Amino acid sequence: MFQSRYIAGCFLALGSLLKAAGALAGALFVAVQTSDGRPLAGAVLTVHTLDGTGRPATPVNAIMDQVDRAFVPDLLVIPTGSTVEFPNSDSVNHQIYSFSAAKKFQLPLYRGKRYPPVRFDQAGFVTLGCNIHDSMLAYVLVTDAPYFGRTDSAGAWSVELPRGTYRITVWHPRIRESGQLEREISIGDADRTAVSVRLTKSLQPAPLEGRHSWDTY
Amino acid sequence: MRCTIPQAFALAALSFAAPAAHSADWLRAPEWEVDVDARLVNSDGQKSFVNGGLGTLRYDHTQSGLRLGRARFALSEAIGQVWSLHLDASAWADDDRNPLDLTEAYLQFRPYPFAGYRFRLKAGAFYAPISLENRAAGWESPYTLSYSAINTWLAQELRTIGVEGQLDWLGTRTGHGLDVALIGGLFGWNDPDGVVVAQRGFSLSDRQTTLFGRVGSSNSAPMRPLELFHEIDGRPGYYAGLESRYFDRVVVRALHYDNRADPTASDGAIRTFAWQTHFNAVGLRAESAGGWTAILQWLDGQTYFESHDEDLAWPFRARFALLSRQIRHHRLSIRYDSFAVDSRSDEGEGAQRGHAWTAAYVFEPDTHWKLTFEWLRVTSDAPYRVIELGIPRAATETEVQLAVRFALGPLAR
Repeated sequence: MFQSRYIAGCFLALGSLLKAAGALAGALFVAVQTSDGRPLAGAVLTVHTLDGTGRPATPVNAIMDQVDRAFVPDLLVIPTGSTVEFPNSDSVNHQIYSFSAAKKFQLPLYRGKRYPPVRFDQAGFVTLGCNIHDSMLAYVLVTDAPYFGRTDSAGAWSVELPRGTYRITVWHPRIRESGQLEREISIGDADRTAVSVRLTKSLQPAPLEGRHSWDTY
Repeated sequence: MRCTIPQAFALAALSFAAPAAHSADWLRAPEWEVDVDARLVNSDGQKSFVNGGLGTLRYDHTQSGLRLGRARFALSEAIGQVWSLHLDASAWADDDRNPLDLTEAYLQFRPYPFAGYRFRLKAGAFYAPISLENRAAGWESPYTLSYSAINTWLAQELRTIGVEGQLDWLGTRTGHGLDVALIGGLFGWNDPDGVVVAQRGFSLSDRQTTLFGRVGSSNSAPMRPLELFHEIDGRPGYYAGLESRYFDRVVVRALHYDNRADPTASDGAIRTFAWQTHFNAVGLRAESAGGWTAILQWLDGQTYFESHDEDLAWPFRARFALLSRQIRHHRLSIRYDSFAVDSRSDEGEGAQRGHAWTAAYVFEPDTHWKLTFEWLRVTSDAPYRVIELGIPRAATETEVQLAVRFALGPLAR
């Protein structure tokens, strides 16, 4: 909690400096709650400009490892044009696949061999699995939004934005709401705009942690 | 022709693998595992089914002490991207036909999913997808040492020696909560299947019959040793099943099995009839984020053969409920089994009623070491004990085991 306030404070301080230069207008604070009112950590927020001024964020080179027959991390949020490396730190082979529309690919990961990173050029959700170990499940959210992030343990996320109108989109692998939750906001000269999103349906069950590496049959 | 199909599959597998071995891109370094499971056993059981008795435990009262529970070697070899070869061999330290023998050997074809669907094919010798308990490598249970009565019977008498196809709809990869699989198997070399449950009833152990082995030792008495994986009548059997998963929390399986044996056929060389065996099996496993696991399995079937115009039948049924809780590296499990075999024969041969309680503690500090302490008590009533052995028909047998297993290799987990 202290950390999120500290980070928000840094954002505000940075925003004040930039606003003095005429670049940023205000701070956006987003809070995401589950249907029973608890904070939802790890929710993905993307912020698109509605007036066509924002550019997608700069591509990155990310890593999604395979450790103890699981993807680590099991969710990546990356700008379009980014690459992801799958190094396979396990002692066994994996066969990564996706048949999601945003990126269809197959990648055998034989232990002890490096494979070139996979490039994600199209915005959308990519669900990853392993053709050998069915319990392995991960997500890559490829976004063309200029601003994005994930909620902290208090279910909060904040960002400094220039003056304008925006569409905020909320997503989490476990939400049952069909499609994504969206809000439209305008950022004016106000210093802070707060948006609260509360899910209407209970979350899907979380993956069982670390107990199924022996699951064979 | 008898007993040649496992050899034929092994040869086919080797001939398939051999040309691939010339290409480093096709054949990778094999993944392997070696396990050694040592036991300290205390049992007051009657003469075990392993030695030709009608006891329901793996170890009887003469076998208390230090035992080798199982020594196992497993190999998994990727052949290209979509084919793989799997071999599982074990030594059980009793008087089987071979000191080391295969429990499973199969080729698997596993293409990548397409548009949310996936097809898999297995060819060789392997377990049909019935047990929800035997989910660890080597078809072992992560919950207890001894399997439930249902799954002990599957380990003793059933192996798919043939092909199995599975069509998966991967809903969890397309934004849904369910995965659904349709499964069909076609097999041979399972005609004596049913003879063990009809003659000796259900038991609870972890002794799996090997592909070229037998149930019972060379000097088994009064029940003689039985060889199971033979083709007698030339008629293939089949099974058809359904599996559904709700995320990784709930699994439901249902399967109908019929070996389609000709009940009038027999094989003099192995001194057995073709036992016509069919059954239905259903099971449910549910797991919680708090480390709880609950398993229910139910099995109901019948085996029969026709000898000299006699219609001899043994309807059988078994069920169990298991509850388990894992806290970090520790797991506590308790299971209740209930089982019954009816007998439509002149002397009531093979009739049995019984139930069992199993409690087990497992400590698994890492992927190499596993320590299990198990207490198992089986109470059974078998009229045939009076006729065949001259002992009381009712028995309560207790077996306590402390097992230490050490596993080595890339597949160890």
